[in-house]
Amino acid sequence: MRRRSFLLTPLLLPALAAAGHAVRYAAASRSTRLAFPRDHGAHPEFRTEWWYVTGALELPERDMGFQLTFFRSRPGRAETLRSPIAASQILFAHAAVTRPGAGLLHAERAARANLGAGFSATDCDVHIGAWQMQRGGAGPDQSLRLAVHDAAFAFELLLKPTQALLLQGDGGWSQKGPQPALASHYVSWPQLQVSGSVTLDGRRQAATGRAWFDHEWSSEVLGPGSVGWDWIGINLVDGGALMAFRIRDGAGASVYAHAALRAADGRLTQFGADEVGFTPLRHWTSPRNGASYPVQMEIRCGPHRIRTAPVHDDQEISTHRPLPISYWEGLVIIEGTLGGRGYLEMTGYANSMNL
Amino acid sequence: MTRLAWWLIRAQFMTRRTATALSMLAIALGVALGYAIHLINTAALADFSQAMKSVQGEPDAVLAAKDSAGRVPLALINEIARDPAVAIVAPVIETRVRVDHAAIHSGAPVKLIGLDIFSAAAVMPKLLPRQDSGGAGMFEDGVHASPALLARLQLKVGAGVTLTRGAARWRTRIVGDLPAARPDDLLLVADIAWVQARFGPPDAVSEGRLRLMPGTRLASWLETWTARLPAGLTLRAAADDTQRVSNISRAYRVNLNVLALVALLTGAFLVFATQLTAVAQRSTQFALLGVLGLSPRMRLLQVLFEGLAIGVPGAALGLALGYGLALAFTRVMGGDLGGGFFSGSTPVIAARLLPSLSFFALGCAASLAGALYPAWLNRVQPLAQALKTGFAQRPPAVHGLYARPRRSVLIASALLPLAALGLTRLPALDGLPLAGYGAIALVLVLGIAVAPLLTQIVFGAVARRALSAPQRVAVQNIVQAPLMAQVAASGLIVSFALTVSMVTMVSSFRLAVDQWLDAVLPAPLYVRSKGMPLPQELLAALERGAAPFARIERSAHGALSLDPQRPAVVLLVREMRRADAAARLPFTGPVVAVATDRVPVWISEPMQELYRLAPGQTLRLPLLGREVDTVIGGVWRDYSRQFGAVVIASDDYIALGGQFEVSDLALWPRRGEEAAAKAWLAAHAAGYGLDIAESSEIRALSLSIFDKSFAVTYALEAAAMLIGLFGLAVTLAASVWLRARELATLSALGFDRAMLTRAVMFEGALIAGIGLGLGLACGIAIGAILTHVVNPQAFHWRMELTVPWLQVLLGAALTLAAGIAASRFAARLATRLPAAQVLASAQ
Repeated sequence: MRRRSFLLTPLLLPALAAAGHAVRYAAASRSTRLAFPRDHGAHPEFRTEWWYVTGALELPERDMGFQLTFFRSRPGRAETLRSPIAASQILFAHAAVTRPGAGLLHAERAARANLGAGFSATDCDVHIGAWQMQRGGAGPDQSLRLAVHDAAFAFELLLKPTQALLLQGDGGWSQKGPQPALASHYVSWPQLQVSGSVTLDGRRQAATGRAWFDHEWSSEVLGPGSVGWDWIGINLVDGGALMAFRIRDGAGASVYAHAALRAADGRLTQFGADEVGFTPLRHWTSPRNGASYPVQMEIRCGPHRIRTAPVHDDQEISTHRPLPISYWEGLVIIEGTLGGRGYLEMTGYANSMNL
Repeated sequence: MTRLAWWLIRAQFMTRRTATALSMLAIALGVALGYAIHLINTAALADFSQAMKSVQGEPDAVLAAKDSAGRVPLALINEIARDPAVAIVAPVIETRVRVDHAAIHSGAPVKLIGLDIFSAAAVMPKLLPRQDSGGAGMFEDGVHASPALLARLQLKVGAGVTLTRGAARWRTRIVGDLPAARPDDLLLVADIAWVQARFGPPDAVSEGRLRLMPGTRLASWLETWTARLPAGLTLRAAADDTQRVSNISRAYRVNLNVLALVALLTGAFLVFATQLTAVAQRSTQFALLGVLGLSPRMRLLQVLFEGLAIGVPGAALGLALGYGLALAFTRVMGGDLGGGFFSGSTPVIAARLLPSLSFFALGCAASLAGALYPAWLNRVQPLAQALKTGFAQRPPAVHGLYARPRRSVLIASALLPLAALGLTRLPALDGLPLAGYGAIALVLVLGIAVAPLLTQIVFGAVARRALSAPQRVAVQNIVQAPLMAQVAASGLIVSFALTVSMVTMVSSFRLAVDQWLDAVLPAPLYVRSKGMPLPQELLAALERGAAPFARIERSAHGALSLDPQRPAVVLLVREMRRADAAARLPFTGPVVAVATDRVPVWISEPMQELYRLAPGQTLRLPLLGREVDTVIGGVWRDYSRQFGAVVIASDDYIALGGQFEVSDLALWPRRGEEAAAKAWLAAHAAGYGLDIAESSEIRALSLSIFDKSFAVTYALEAAAMLIGLFGLAVTLAASVWLRARELATLSALGFDRAMLTRAVMFEGALIAGIGLGLGLACGIAIGAILTHVVNPQAFHWRMELTVPWLQVLLGAALTLAAGIAASRFAARLATRLPAAQVLASAQ
């Protein structure tokens, strides 16, 4: 869960710092049994939540990457204010498109709920203006609709599931650090079939590909001493799915790690902290801030050894909110004992994530 | 040739120093006035649009209610935000509050802007709080104050304050400042949700400011959404706001520019008079140069060149003068040209090359135009005759033109009034009374055209009567040498006509305003709170019996946007009964009885003119978020709200669901308790920043504003009269000089100096009399056009025509006396030389 909550911190730093004591957030609980579609919806009593779609397109261009993330934050402010537009629930969104060889386009939006933005607490339906992520239908006919409109790019995509939901950790309860209190509720939906359109340079083109959906919510932040994390979600070519992450300390050593592999036939294997390793092979240095990202890594998950190869080295995202913050998030090609397309996220290389 | 030209110019300037200097000054005045008006207005507009951008930001479009009491529902904001063509909707709640901190009171209400930091960051960056107080401070209880407000209240960040609006109160803290606010902005900024929770409105905001996606076609997008908007809401392109502001002062500016044009014209006339006399006086010299080989074309060019030599320094001086005038004016009065449109702003005057060059060219063109006819006359002078007998007022080439003077003048004097009358019947063109100005020009032309005819008729008759010798000489001179007389007279006609017309218009207006003030200020005492309701405590105290008032009338203000292209109409909610309307408002016509089940409203005269309405008509008003059909019960006179006002009775307004938020009080103290009433008010209204005024004070203030706004006019009248008088003096002196030989002959025949002087003075008096008489007639005609055509068309208000006879006749007498004095001076100049010397030197 920590992995994307950091995005909110520059925006809400003072709010989060000051408000933590006054507000009672819900805590992720191992005993909670998730139910769908209700748990696709928002959990506003938690501090942080996100809905996250990444994918690799075949059309209009092979290995074109895209991502759309909606964050919900409850900063703990204006909680008692009696106004329909009190800033007690805030939404952020990031969207990006990577064209291999050409680079990354990025856009973001922010708004408070009920003032140009909104979310549903009963199903996945979240929007900021015309940007939207919405689940519809039931059973095999269900789908996720994504819509993003920006000056530089736009996409409207329909995502159809080919497999069941993947509840991470223990039935969707996912531990995030050595202390059991650091945990989240975490649901993935790998191997989604993508169709729709992508607009680039004012030209609208048909799009197809494969995507990965994550939905995670929690109230706890990074443990002390942690500065960032590496995370990857991979749609394997054989139909399987692999998720792996590690939390790093200031020296670059792993504080905590975990991985889950679901084979095409549905068999789920979880790997503990000692079974998961991230080894840098090649670094790329950001010309903007000098941060050095291990864009090529060897990732060890139990018996598996895989290597990442980015479709484009510069997939760093810099946001321009009150405090500048940068991280690397992009499409990588996976080779080794398993093959596929994955989205790699590396944080804490340009800025410390310390709160 | 060039050397000769410069030599001639130098000689000309040396011999006619005063005339040349005055011509230059007149040109300079015209240029200066026009240029200053341009500079001030440009600066004021730039200042205004900057101020607006600072507070409103730079959205592409603005979604707002047509009624200032109306709101934009939150649901609509959220709906419009989901349009893919919309990049950002920045919702805003704007209100005015009183700020109190312990014993410190804000006095006048302060604007409180509630904004959403996420959307405001992109649309209204100037309203963002300081970085280190952060976005988070925005979400919590607290307000951010502009540096100007902190300085005025002598408060520091961290101070606790109480904000009050009507019965609503917010005890909060100043948690930060607004570093990007303009130095004179008095502002409070807080999170929109806190402003809504404390002051409302529930489930709505004041405005949505929209940024569209790049590439969106604004016009068609606006059209599509406007068609879908609920009643009472309007969507406007933000770029139009500056234009609309510019339109506010447009008619006023055009009026001032016409005055500048008049100054320029008088300058041209002065150049004309000077050059004409110069040509006449130097006819022998030019004839000699002609015989020596100076071509007629060169003689023409020489006079034009001399005109330009007056125009260029005049125009340059005018630019400098205009710049200084604009600078001084904005320092003293602000950028509103005395019109009261942009009060409070201190605009920065900036000269730009192109407009400056245009005004320079205008000055040069005016002096060239003045030199045109003298130049042509110089070209067609018959050399031999000029050498022998001097200047020919009617060169042979012109004889044809003067052959049938009576008939052409008769036809002209029949057609011109008809044409002028026709022009006064035409409507305003693009909101400007251009046809009216045309009619004024025609009246002036007519006055000048009939002058020679009148001269011949009047003095022809006079000449047939038995007169003393000096008188006979004077009369004959005028009848037989009409050109000089006409030049002198036409200068007076134009200048006196303009003066009389201005005096007539201004005094008619002033009298009308005076009477109107009586009608609109019936109560002895008034209390007003700008832009926010009166404090509840005061209203409650007034209800109690202890308050020393016999009668209280409450009213409230609002604004209705009926047409996005025009400034909003003022909505006045007044505590009055329908039946009382006739007694409570200064109606211009009949008051229509309105059926009891309909809602009557009473509209102001400007509103009637602007929206072409009539009593008895149904008027659909965007009231309280919906369209309400009202009936126009009558039209009342209003000289203060140029863009229209509509009155509705408070009972009707409340019945429609409106909230009667009293902002104005008219108070009638109990008999004999006037002083106690003032003291009571002072005690109960202390610290609320209310305007408390006696009707006499309001009246004096209104009239002083009126006089201030006509200050430029008065200055111009004086300038016009001076120029006219000077033209008379110059032409008289020239004509006397031309007749030096004749005067010498008379003197040889036994006329003594006194008799000669008397003859010339009599001539001057006669010419001045003709000029003043015609000027008076034209002036009254023009005054009528200004009052009945230009004023209603430009400002949409009407008034009675009142000619201030005393002032006008006094002015005429003074001018006549000055004219006679000028001719005495001319005569003394001419008779200074011994007759024998004059007679000997001629040929």
